[in-house]
Amino acid sequence: MPASREGAIPSVRSPVASQPPRRRRARARPVPPWRAYVDRFVVLVAVIALWQACSAYFGTIWFSNPWLVLVRFIEELRDGELFFNTTYTLKAAFYGALLGGVPAMLLPFVLRRRPLTGAILDPYLAAGYGVPKLALAPLFILWFGIDLEPKIALVASIVFFLVFFSTMSGVNAVNAQYVSVMRVCGAKERDIARHVVWPGAIPYAFAGFRIAAPYAIGAAVVGELISSNRGLGFMINSGATDFDTTLVFVALATLTFLVVAINLLVARAERWLLRWRPPQQGLTSRVISA
Amino acid sequence: MTTAAPILEVKGLAKRFAARAGEAQSPLILADLSFQVADQEFLTMVGPSGAGKSTLLNIIAQVDSASDGEIYFRGDLIESTDAAALNPGWNCQIGYVTQDDNLLPWRTLIDNVTLPLKLQGRYDDEAAARVEALLRATNLTGFERYYPHELSGGMRKRASLIRTLAYDPPIILMDEPFGAVDAQTRAQLQQDLLRLWNYGRKTIIFVTHDIGEAIALGDRVLVLSRSPAKVIAQHHVDIARPRDLGNLYKLDGFGDMFEAVRQQIQ
Repeated sequence: MPASREGAIPSVRSPVASQPPRRRRARARPVPPWRAYVDRFVVLVAVIALWQACSAYFGTIWFSNPWLVLVRFIEELRDGELFFNTTYTLKAAFYGALLGGVPAMLLPFVLRRRPLTGAILDPYLAAGYGVPKLALAPLFILWFGIDLEPKIALVASIVFFLVFFSTMSGVNAVNAQYVSVMRVCGAKERDIARHVVWPGAIPYAFAGFRIAAPYAIGAAVVGELISSNRGLGFMINSGATDFDTTLVFVALATLTFLVVAINLLVARAERWLLRWRPPQQGLTSRVISA
Repeated sequence: MTTAAPILEVKGLAKRFAARAGEAQSPLILADLSFQVADQEFLTMVGPSGAGKSTLLNIIAQVDSASDGEIYFRGDLIESTDAAALNPGWNCQIGYVTQDDNLLPWRTLIDNVTLPLKLQGRYDDEAAARVEALLRATNLTGFERYYPHELSGGMRKRASLIRTLAYDPPIILMDEPFGAVDAQTRAQLQQDLLRLWNYGRKTIIFVTHDIGEAIALGDRVLVLSRSPAKVIAQHHVDIARPRDLGNLYKLDGFGDMFEAVRQQIQ
């Protein structure tokens, strides 16, 4: 189509018209597959350099440097201290996620069959979601002591709401046509829940768990920060009180590894469970896709 | 061909959806709609888009309720306005092939096709052999372990079709099952359907807006009016079976009937 066509509607001059023909996009060199990995490595080096610079500027007392942290990390790993504390934190996070997550996945199925109960509970669930859970930590410590229990309670209270609302939206999003067609084929209510609603809600439950994972670890750590004599939160606290920022960084690095590893596991489990889905981006984790 | 006693009878069916805010009464979708289907008859219904064809099938399948009228199955009243609750599929006696294939995306082809049989507790060796034969007849053998998204549109349609045929309900409702596929696939699917129907004749109520399809497939064509839908004409199709759909359009009488239906629909 000529760019300077005569017509009733004056058109903006096409930018292409006055320029030499643009090179075809296809001729541009394709990005090699290793490019992302190389560039990631460059970013890593830059971050570590920045860290080193901060350490040099503020002094290692306030800001430990990468090398010290690495050495200390290996040291802590060797004498079992790090492993012991990591296990403790993981335990709190895991039991809490289980205690909060399992009822959160089941409740939506109960409420689907009992809309009135759902309507009654709705504002309370919304309010429960709204309560800043970390602020409950002192209360949980008061009730459950200073061992694992208050941390489990704290984690559960956070995971429950995240997983519940996510799963609930999955249950509500059930394809009504699937339900009708399966009913016509002889499906009872229980079959509908098991074969139609449940598989459809799984991606939503997973999304809830993926969001909840870092919160679960975080809540366990906060519980330990407030009162504990073990765990990664305790490590951070004792490091900070002793001006031992190296120890603090070791604990922080471990926590980061944990969350990344958990994300990786959840993504892997999700990919296997949801292998029926057409390849797509969206709900599937893109944080860890390499 | 339609001398047998009616297997299904629809009497004075009316449907009005719930009124919207600010509306005294929503318009009628179906009004005083009556017809009969004989056992083993292939009945096609053709009507303009939006005539309420899907609504009619939803009511017969008991996925939706009627505002007025009755439905009889082999002489027994199975649906009326005072029925306490709907019984979708009337105890698996009425199958329903919907416009969308509605295969469950998380189940493989074979698991989709066998699910109704499993839900009804009827999946035995005999049923498995039947499913096997249906898969072969529709060229789906070898794709049993594929998920719906890995199949073509035509394959999904065939899978959806044999999912209902596999559990063998005496009446099968079809709501423009071949609506959303290309012309060649559509012709193939129509031929497949006729062949399957010839194996074991079921009562089929096939709804479409395509006049040619209605004549090509049916023993009898009912013409529905614009909404509110009612039956305004019927045509007996005297083309011998098995039919060769490729040649059909050249046969005497086809063009005349096509033209007659087209006039009535307007």
